[in-house]
Amino acid sequence: MIMIKRLHKSVGVYIDMGNQFLKNISPEWMWKSGHYSGSSLRIGIPRMFFYYIYPDLWETFFGELGMEPVVSRPSTRKTVEKASQISETEHCLPNKLFDAHLAEVVGKVDMVFVPRVLSTIKNHLSCPKFGPLPDAARADIARGTEVLSIDIDENKRPLSKTLLLLGKKLNIQKSKTLSAIKSAFIAMESANKKMVLLNKKKGKPRFLLVGHPYVIHDNFIAGPILSKLESMGVEVELISFADDTPAKSYILWSTANKIYHKLNTLSSEDYDGVIQLTVFNCGCDSMMIDTYRQLVKDKNVPYMYLMVDEHLAQSGIDTRVEAFIDSLRWRG
Amino acid sequence: MTYMAIPNIGNYTIALATAVESLGIKAWASTATTPEALKLGIAAAPETVCLPLKAHLGHFIEADRAGVEYAFMVNSVGTCRLRYYRHMIEHILKDLGLKIKIFGLGFDGFKPPIVRHFDPGPITFLKPLFHTALKIKVIDKLEVAAWRTRAIEITHGDTTLLMNKLLVELSESKTMARTRAIRKKVAGCFAEIPVDKEKKPLKVGLVGEISFLRDKCLNKNIEYILGSQGIELRNFFLLGEELKNITRIVFLNQNKRKYLSKVADRYLQCTVGGHALDSVAHSIHCADEGYDGMIHLCPSGCMPEVSVRPILKRVSKDKDIPILEMSYDEHTCDVGISTRLEAFADVLMERRKKQPARPSRGEGN
Repeated sequence: MIMIKRLHKSVGVYIDMGNQFLKNISPEWMWKSGHYSGSSLRIGIPRMFFYYIYPDLWETFFGELGMEPVVSRPSTRKTVEKASQISETEHCLPNKLFDAHLAEVVGKVDMVFVPRVLSTIKNHLSCPKFGPLPDAARADIARGTEVLSIDIDENKRPLSKTLLLLGKKLNIQKSKTLSAIKSAFIAMESANKKMVLLNKKKGKPRFLLVGHPYVIHDNFIAGPILSKLESMGVEVELISFADDTPAKSYILWSTANKIYHKLNTLSSEDYDGVIQLTVFNCGCDSMMIDTYRQLVKDKNVPYMYLMVDEHLAQSGIDTRVEAFIDSLRWRG
Repeated sequence: MTYMAIPNIGNYTIALATAVESLGIKAWASTATTPEALKLGIAAAPETVCLPLKAHLGHFIEADRAGVEYAFMVNSVGTCRLRYYRHMIEHILKDLGLKIKIFGLGFDGFKPPIVRHFDPGPITFLKPLFHTALKIKVIDKLEVAAWRTRAIEITHGDTTLLMNKLLVELSESKTMARTRAIRKKVAGCFAEIPVDKEKKPLKVGLVGEISFLRDKCLNKNIEYILGSQGIELRNFFLLGEELKNITRIVFLNQNKRKYLSKVADRYLQCTVGGHALDSVAHSIHCADEGYDGMIHLCPSGCMPEVSVRPILKRVSKDKDIPILEMSYDEHTCDVGISTRLEAFADVLMERRKKQPARPSRGEGN
């Protein structure tokens, strides 16, 4: 790093006038990324939202491009404490955690990566809170640090093209970007397969845990519940978001649509119960929970929903999960 | 007589009630959600949904109790929760066992189902619609005049009294000729109110979520409180302007949002949803025009408006304009709101005293 900075002073700024994507990028940053892509350019990735929506994709992609991805540590109680100090008070819990994760990587890295996730499936939309994320980061927490952002909008272009554009924006050779995309997709596929099952056994009660990907895979939000379920020895399946074919429904939020589809096609033979995990102040869930409950009720499958906020306590979760599972055992 | 319940959007409900007459039926509405309706809505809705849904739901429950058969709910094509309002309200009302039937504006073939159901003749259908457009224009004019006069009136309450009188007249007006006559006399009536012309009132812009900008019950009558503090307001939701924008999009392919996103480009590069982009763009605009402050209203946990708050804070710092963020939930009480607004007004007044030579670029030209 030190070497790069010194070089930058002496060599000056390299500007590739042919590349129209460079118009919006500051010269200093362009130089850093441009012809020294093999160097240790550190890119910070907050472990929230898009990190869980596209698991393992970003580290692999940036790693293959010759950068050093710095992912923030899994969220803990400390992250939440930090979040409550720095974040906007009325954000939902994941958004607060996002701010804390962002604050963790800012200062340690040369730039942070915050994409604008507008749509993850074609003809569908993301939560409106994802739209201004990079702008909010620039305005507040990541101020002074370069924020690398790109629109992920499946309605306009598929993800692979978005990644290609990102490589172009970073001024990296096309062939290198293509191979990085290939290995990133492979990594994402295997990560998606890995994440779905807990306590794989046969003959035990099987539960389905539903919720947004960044809720059910987050250490702070879902950790206590998953560890409790694990210690009780019940087989739990986490809902998978890997399948890209959307179901036809009135719901346009992509994750809500997938949860709806999963619960709609659920049968009482496959699962003994459904646990819905939601977070405080989540706008999507507040509209959808009643629909989900009705769907599951119609299938005669027991349903419980747990709302997690900043004051999550292990004992409270323990009591509720134990009571739910015990009542199911008595049900026979 | 068949009645149809329509959602409340402040004084504009008067105009929309005329639009319902185009279907050959009468409207059941009020210019503000009643506290009783809000209570009913809060009891029936899930706890975590946003307050406008509870207000609308309560309004429809109240309508059903009054024996109204039909209701109308707006459709939204945006990204926020408003899109699912009608679906959710329908379900909740069904669960409650109420028989009120809810229509949207969705098209089913050539005619929307709502028109097909009532099947009015072409003249019955079109005439009230023109009348509605005229009434919306008059209400726009009334609102703008009221913001200006209320801040400088000598006797408190004069403007509000006159405004209420004219609104009643307007709601009773059945012919376009009469509405035109009202439009003509608006300026004269407001000019008759004794005002302090020397006074230079503080100028504050109101931005945020639309039902909070318009509904007096939800926003705890914020326009009146601020006006009686001697603050000249500008509320950035005028239905006339919105409709004008929609016609422009349809016929001229000119969207005001394009201009707004150009204004806000430095701070926000996407439209977010709801009126979040408008909030940011108008705040920047007002700062440039020399406003003394901004007030940002939204229901607690509003998805688009809350997500742009960090950006508004940055605008506030960069442009040196105070922005008061108010969020409302069902426990918000009138006194709490008026205390905060009074404190804000005091801060603005002190601020102005300290920097008397603050250039106000908007006033000169």
